[in-house]
Amino acid sequence: MATPEVVFAHTDGGAVTDIAQYEATGGFSALEKSRAMAPDEVIEELNASQLRGRGGAFFPTGRKWSFVPKPEQIAKPHYLVVNADESEPGTFKDREIMLRVPFRFLEGCLIAAYAIQSKHVFIYIRGEYEQEFEVLRDALAAMHKKKVLGGVTIVLHRGAGAYICGEETALLESLEGRRGQPRTKPPFPAIAGLYAAPTAVNNVESITTATSVMEMGGVEYAKLGVPNSTGTRVFSLSGNVVNGGNYELPHGFPLKDLIYEVGGGIANGRKLKAVIPGGSSTVILTPAEVEKATLDFDSLTSLGTAIGSAAVIAIDDRCCMVQLGIRVSQFYEHESCGKCTPCRVGTHWLTQILQKIEDGRAAQSDLDLLLDVCDRILGKCLCPLGDSDAIAVASYVDKFRDEFQAHIDNGGCPLGGSSSLEAVLAPVAMHHAAHEVAHA
Amino acid sequence: MTALFERIQEIRRRYPDELSAVMPALQAAQVEHGGWLPREAFREVADALDLTPAYCLSIASFYDMFRLEPVGETVVEVCTNISCGLAGAQGVVEAFERELGLHAGETSADGKFSLRAVECLGGCGWATIVAVNNRHRLRVSAADVPALAAELRGEVSNGDA
Amino acid sequence: MTELLKVTVDGREVEVPRGTGLVETADAAGIEIPVFCYEPRLGPPVGACRMCLVEIEGLPKLQAACTLTAQDGMVIKTAATSAKAAEGQNATLEFILVNHPLDCPVCDKGGECPLQDLTFRYGPGATRMTFPKVTFDKPIPISPLIALDRERCILCYRCTRFSQDVAEDGQLVARNRGNHSMITTFGEDPYRAPFSGNVVELCPVGALTSTQYRFEARPWEIQQIPTVCGLCPVGCNTSVTTRDGKAKRVLSRNHPEIDGGWLCDKGRYTLPHLAATDRIREPLRRLQRVGLEPISWDDALDEAEKLLRGAEGRIVTALSGSETIEQAYALGRLLRGGLGAHSAVLPESTSSALDAFRLPLSGIAAAEIVVVVGDDEVVDRAPIVDLWLRKAQRNGTEVISYGPSSEAGSAMAALHDLTEPDSALGKRLRASDRAILIWCGPGGGGGARVAEAAHSLSFDDKPGCGAFHLPATPNGRGVAIAWAAAADEDETDPEPIGLLVVVGDDAAASPSVRALAERAEAVIAVTMFQGLAGGWADLVLPATAALERDGTLLNIEGRLQRLRRAVVPPVPDELAWIAKLAGRFDVDLSPHSSVLFEEISARCFDGATAADHATLPARTPYEAPAPAQAVATAVPPRPAEDHFLGQLRLVRYRPLFSGPQVERVAELQFQRPGAELELATADAEKRQIAAGDTVLVRSNGTSVELRARINRKLAAGVVRVPDEHAADLHPTVEVVKP
Ligand SMILES: Cc1cc2nc3c(=O)[nH]c(=O)nc-3n(C[C@H](O)[C@H](O)[C@H](O)COP(=O)(O)O)c2cc1C
Ligand code: SF4
Ligand code: FES
Repeated sequence: MATPEVVFAHTDGGAVTDIAQYEATGGFSALEKSRAMAPDEVIEELNASQLRGRGGAFFPTGRKWSFVPKPEQIAKPHYLVVNADESEPGTFKDREIMLRVPFRFLEGCLIAAYAIQSKHVFIYIRGEYEQEFEVLRDALAAMHKKKVLGGVTIVLHRGAGAYICGEETALLESLEGRRGQPRTKPPFPAIAGLYAAPTAVNNVESITTATSVMEMGGVEYAKLGVPNSTGTRVFSLSGNVVNGGNYELPHGFPLKDLIYEVGGGIANGRKLKAVIPGGSSTVILTPAEVEKATLDFDSLTSLGTAIGSAAVIAIDDRCCMVQLGIRVSQFYEHESCGKCTPCRVGTHWLTQILQKIEDGRAAQSDLDLLLDVCDRILGKCLCPLGDSDAIAVASYVDKFRDEFQAHIDNGGCPLGGSSSLEAVLAPVAMHHAAHEVAHA
Repeated sequence: MTALFERIQEIRRRYPDELSAVMPALQAAQVEHGGWLPREAFREVADALDLTPAYCLSIASFYDMFRLEPVGETVVEVCTNISCGLAGAQGVVEAFERELGLHAGETSADGKFSLRAVECLGGCGWATIVAVNNRHRLRVSAADVPALAAELRGEVSNGDA
Repeated sequence: MTELLKVTVDGREVEVPRGTGLVETADAAGIEIPVFCYEPRLGPPVGACRMCLVEIEGLPKLQAACTLTAQDGMVIKTAATSAKAAEGQNATLEFILVNHPLDCPVCDKGGECPLQDLTFRYGPGATRMTFPKVTFDKPIPISPLIALDRERCILCYRCTRFSQDVAEDGQLVARNRGNHSMITTFGEDPYRAPFSGNVVELCPVGALTSTQYRFEARPWEIQQIPTVCGLCPVGCNTSVTTRDGKAKRVLSRNHPEIDGGWLCDKGRYTLPHLAATDRIREPLRRLQRVGLEPISWDDALDEAEKLLRGAEGRIVTALSGSETIEQAYALGRLLRGGLGAHSAVLPESTSSALDAFRLPLSGIAAAEIVVVVGDDEVVDRAPIVDLWLRKAQRNGTEVISYGPSSEAGSAMAALHDLTEPDSALGKRLRASDRAILIWCGPGGGGGARVAEAAHSLSFDDKPGCGAFHLPATPNGRGVAIAWAAAADEDETDPEPIGLLVVVGDDAAASPSVRALAERAEAVIAVTMFQGLAGGWADLVLPATAALERDGTLLNIEGRLQRLRRAVVPPVPDELAWIAKLAGRFDVDLSPHSSVLFEEISARCFDGATAADHATLPARTPYEAPAPAQAVATAVPPRPAEDHFLGQLRLVRYRPLFSGPQVERVAELQFQRPGAELELATADAEKRQIAAGDTVLVRSNGTSVELRARINRKLAAGVVRVPDEHAADLHPTVEVVKP
């Protein structure tokens, strides 16, 4: 099938880390074009493309930029903050974008900064991405030398290992030198974001795509994909498939084709049991649902799940769903920032109940309690992290109830130790053993 | 003034509000102190940024990559989140435990190695991901571990630092 | 400005001004929305605990009421009318209780605990939590004053927000993440900061408790007595908890204009000095070779009468500035009216010229520019003012200090410069409608110089502009006014001094008063503590503490405040024996403070009555102070470095945590500064002194060994040493490594 590459255009499957090579294939022409327009015209172009945020919330990018007040309205510096903290389990697309098309990404930063009339860009890059940091650092140096920055400063700020800092307000807190705990909204970042000044926060892929939108023209871009989900998307495919990896495909691509054709099907001749379609926080799909699903907002929403960060995790029939629940819940428990009560306590409680079920110590009432605790978390937290755990876990019970029931009835795991996630070790919470600061 | 102090002043100037410098300053201090933050490091960073050591501790302890206890010269981290888990990450962890003679979460008595299980490292399609001093090895299977461990012990050199 | 919005809460309609929070909006409708983390005094809401969940029509999800403000037409349903909101609150409580020990019967907070109350009202009946709760070591001291029980902590972050965002001391923090988060200081370092005790009051559960109050009383056995703190010139409004007539703790009684609901640790924790082991409970007389022996009150009054008569008017009275207005007046009537003894050593007072620039202290937080001038730290003289200044800075106020930390030459010169027509800052002050000058240090004519400056900067007609003097004693101005009101005659310096009457602990501890005593034939000391009486007094009369007195204090703003007796003193009230003694000299004096106050008020306070107390009097027109005041101790000019090579200007200061009361409270000792010398980075580098080094500080003939502390904010050429460690050092010193 012909899959137009937009994000990864002109790369021939490789990386373009040489600025001359980038320029030779039309690099920085989108920036030049943008700077020849008025900032509002750039935003209009984005609106025409119907590009929606690739970070998870799918919010229209042009609209987001138009919410940033004009400098005359708020006389503070404006900021563009790029979310390169990619940490949602299953998601690894931004990493490849930064490695392979660093200039297209950085060009996008300058376009976005121009559109919101900002001179200051901060790229918050997850701390574990060391190689990616180095590539960006070198690319920036090359751009500096070529004088394409146009008076804009781009600061690379490295995270230090906290998933919650992907949430935009937690990211801003972290960038300001505080603990990465989400803020209550309102005020929204567009009005009072970084240093309480007008700020746009965008995902790496959104920003990189913006370069292509300006290159192609918004209307042209909107012809890709399907209505409501225009353009292409870099899908992260992982789990029990033959060919895991990132694949740039148009929105609306059939999920089963991603798994069976692009991904080469389920590894080792096993059977597909379930698919997590948009990162670990989304509602799980059964094989029957997978047959129907296409990879776009409307299709996945109608199936009660979400496109999220476009991270597709295929799970084969060896996996115990209770164990999956435990591992997912352990993740959210480990990553909960600890600010709001339902998330801090609820994620821990969910893990405990799930473990009890897995160990065969649970009574029937524990299954009800599990769902009730999910309910009590849902919609009560400060940010979506707690909800993510509740949504995911509740969906496993919902769609694989028999398996949960079997754990209770059999007094343990029906897979009898053969599950692919059997006894998988979750990280011990950092620092918690060290009650006091160790003395050197 | 120490080199770290000067370095932190430089970091400080990058930001419109100098509090933003606390994370990079702690990162610099951690490098300076051999991969972890002893009590002294907090005092140094606090002093260089006009903060309190307690404040710096509250920041450092929030993030997984700051270490409050000594770590080995080589830190081996194995992702055990869903995708790596489904692909056999637990086998990789256990293979390292055997090879290095350590449990996950421990540092060897000679200070050479630390082994940890970690959350998603962002390489799910190339599972299992193993980070060696923050450099990612892709598609590591349990069977690869003995050779990898030997390399890390310096027994085999394939030129990859 | 005051646009009114219509909001419906549980079916009741209310009108509130725009900007009103939903918790306050519901309150206006007579409906309580329960909260834990919400505390407006800590800054913007954080929405952490999720106790305040409500349903808002049109919004699908429950909302944290504390984080939202009222909108016109908003329809709010609280737990009272919304099953969804009730479920949300119940859920939050269940989550909170998952880790809470529910040890209410042995908890100090039991009976006055919001968590306990809310659990009764909204909580789940039985626990469904069948796993071990998170456990921690039992209460650990985070300082000698405060214990932390982490099991009880519900992580509302009130305490850490206070430390970080109000006091800005950065000492109490949260560490770790998620379910492992906990409140802590830096390792074993104690929470050492002037306002630490406020976190105990803020904690909505019994996680942070006062070590002094632990197990001292249960909420149903106690009484709260409203009074004011008599330990500094701010006069924070307090409430003293008593049980069986004994004072057990001091709490804030939020006066929004004066203290904003905060107290410093000196005001909160010096209580144990009332029961100091060397507290004097009976009059004492000096016997040759025996020392002080207790005598009866009758004998004491006879003895006092004898000494007073024997001095034949050659009497000098040294006052502390911590006396009530009534006490100072009564003493004045007795000594001046009855004995013609007009000579007094008065504490540093505050110039009445400042009344033209009166402002509530809360005005500082609303200012545009504040200029602080003087050699002392604000926190040492008037601690709460430090919090107001921090709040101002957070609000965007520009706070400029000319003290030992500035380069601008002496404080007086800096102040003078402001009034020069070409001073840039002066121009801005003149143009501003919200500018404030503060004098914080010795000299300056008790604020007369700032009043002059304020006048010349045209503050007179601008109600948002003001000027303050931060005096060294709690009621120096009130004492001076009362002493002056007691008689009209002028003072003459008696020589030789027949009798020195020393009133109060500060006077008794003062080296200059001690020096005066050397020249006196006899000494009467009125003091609380044996340690201050021995060795010099011929007659000692026991004193009461501020908390044991009824009376009036005049604070920093020029506001009269009522001091109410919170505890019955173990000794007779001063006014009682002064009145008796006065009778022996044919002075008719009431022993009742209210009667005395009426007398003074008619003369000095426009007839203000007790009912007027606590309201700030109107401004009076500016009157240039008599030049005599101007000669008061001038600050020595800063030595120009190249002229006095190697010499440094010594600024000695009285730390907040010092003085006879603080010295008698074991738990407060860690708050006192050590034998330290602060010096600027440049001066330290020049002398190759590193932080922590022992250095020798020398001035003609005297030398002291101190530990060096480098203060990067201090101007070069200046060193600071706490008074108690500065011995007899002169104002210019040399600092060398021994
Ligand atoms: C818990 C949590 C984690 C998130 N992590 C990320 C992330 O790693 N990267 C990202 O781009 N967005 C992440 N988001 C979404 C961001 O909050 C935000 O919506 C996004 O960065 C906006 O960019 P976009 O509009 O370009 O998508 C996360 C959100 C939540 C609630
Ligand atoms: S110690 Fe008290 S005030 Fe501090 S977070 Fe815990 S419950 Fe809140
Ligand atoms: S009181 Fe509203 S969230 Fe805590």
